[in-house]
Amino acid sequence: MFNIKFTLFSHTKELEQKIDELHDKIIEISMSFKKAVHLFLKEQRSTNYRKLSKEIKIIEHDADVLRRDIESRLYAHNLIPDFRGDVLELVENLDKVINEFDEVAHQFYLERPVIPQIYHDDLKELVDQVCDCAENLAFASRAFFRDFTAVRNYSKKVYYFEHESDKTTAKLIDAVFSSDLELAHKLQLKTFLSEVADIADLAENCVDQLLIYVIKRDI
Amino acid sequence: MELAYFTFLSSGLFLGWSLGANDVSNIFGAAVGSKMLKFKTAALIASIFIVLGSVFGGSGTTATLSALGNVNAVAGSFMVALSAAFSVYFMAKTGLTTSTSQAIVGAIIGWNLFADKTTNTAVLLKIVAGWALCPFLSAGIAILLYLLLKHVLKRIRLHMLMQHQLLRIGLVCAGAFCTYALGANNIANVMGVFVQTAPFDTIHIGILTLSPAQILFLLGALAISTGVFTYSHKVMDTIGKNVMKMSPFVALIVVLAQACVLFIFSSSTLRNALLSVGLPALPLVPVSSTQAVIGAILGIGLFKGGRGINWSIITRIVIGWFSTPIMSMLICFICLFVLQNVFNLTVFLP
Repeated sequence: MFNIKFTLFSHTKELEQKIDELHDKIIEISMSFKKAVHLFLKEQRSTNYRKLSKEIKIIEHDADVLRRDIESRLYAHNLIPDFRGDVLELVENLDKVINEFDEVAHQFYLERPVIPQIYHDDLKELVDQVCDCAENLAFASRAFFRDFTAVRNYSKKVYYFEHESDKTTAKLIDAVFSSDLELAHKLQLKTFLSEVADIADLAENCVDQLLIYVIKRDI
Repeated sequence: MELAYFTFLSSGLFLGWSLGANDVSNIFGAAVGSKMLKFKTAALIASIFIVLGSVFGGSGTTATLSALGNVNAVAGSFMVALSAAFSVYFMAKTGLTTSTSQAIVGAIIGWNLFADKTTNTAVLLKIVAGWALCPFLSAGIAILLYLLLKHVLKRIRLHMLMQHQLLRIGLVCAGAFCTYALGANNIANVMGVFVQTAPFDTIHIGILTLSPAQILFLLGALAISTGVFTYSHKVMDTIGKNVMKMSPFVALIVVLAQACVLFIFSSSTLRNALLSVGLPALPLVPVSSTQAVIGAILGIGLFKGGRGINWSIITRIVIGWFSTPIMSMLICFICLFVLQNVFNLTVFLP
């Protein structure tokens, strides 16, 4: 009997820990991404940036491993059978946000865009907003497993930062296209800005889903 | 004599089988349908606790049924149980909410009329009051449990996964309690009318002593368990996936409310304890587990701000309270006549 009890709860505890680690990965990758963009603006594709880009890749890889592990554990131990689909979808959506961070950081490394000094402050602001958005998504998603009221609070923040990032992106794109840069350069910068902003959009989509799960599950 | 007795007992065993197939599905349907519990586990738990409830807790409601009508010939008992089974079948076909409790009461009154025995109206009123109270009591208990559990869950803020694991354990424990209470409350419907004519001797197994009535209850409980294993899986699937799609949390409350109601209406110990401290106690009468479930679901639905009372369900329950016993009484009366005059069997002793 004690053995059964122990096994029942040990699987649950392990899975809880894995889900928590996945949330940690979002916060980690967001902070590393912020640091990486700041570094890129300062040093372009330097050795330091290369190191940081690799770190981001490792975080993304670890998150993928965690995601697969969570998915298989949910099925292998028949945990939350009535709600498994929603949790799987949530985990996959979180992973998409992590992947986008990695992709954008890698694009910076590969394409080496030349970003004029006058856009640096606005770009840093955009990156801060996007990272705040992702971090609040991680808080909201973590809260989803324990406290539904907190999910609403963090979701509000996600929506706020996403909206702010949209405004900053529009302002930057407008400034870029009003400048004397080459059209190709303008288009490259626009693509980069849009990709950074996409991270916030993905976080917003994820929170939309999260709020639906909360409504479905609220007893 | 023994073989003939078992032939007559078959109608009661059939009634037990159908009780196992239907009523146990109400208890474990949501848990099995939502895959929180495997069918085999549910069926095993149900069987064990039904046997325990029937053998050790079935005397209270049986005494009430015996007070209503003391069926004293085994052929009469056979026909009373068979009439109840037929009326449950016909009523289920018409889509009305029915129960074996109502059917058996009607059949006993039919036997009383045929045998020219007086029906104890005080006992009858007590039984009908029990039926009427059952869904309301279940609704009240369900609302209280809902408030209590919701409050506790909000306060302790367990991780969702842990909450689910505890919910799963809760469903197993509540299911066990509920099947115990079902056995204790409903075994009288299945075997109650055979108690007077039981041909068994008291059995001693170690420290355990089984009276003739308890041996009969054991046989009835085994018939119920057979119903659980052979037919309830289909019903559970239907209940869990189609009829009552509810969250495991609500399912737990419904099962607990049902268990409390069945237990209140069948536990002599609880009744004596309440009376000893000067509190009013409810009569020990067999009630409908299905109506307890409906009461609990309606209670939670209303409390959560549903669309109001579903009057068609309430009407169907109330019609069932009268139509099932009347139909059962008529079937029993006619069949007793046939059994006595065509087959020359003794269906009552003067």
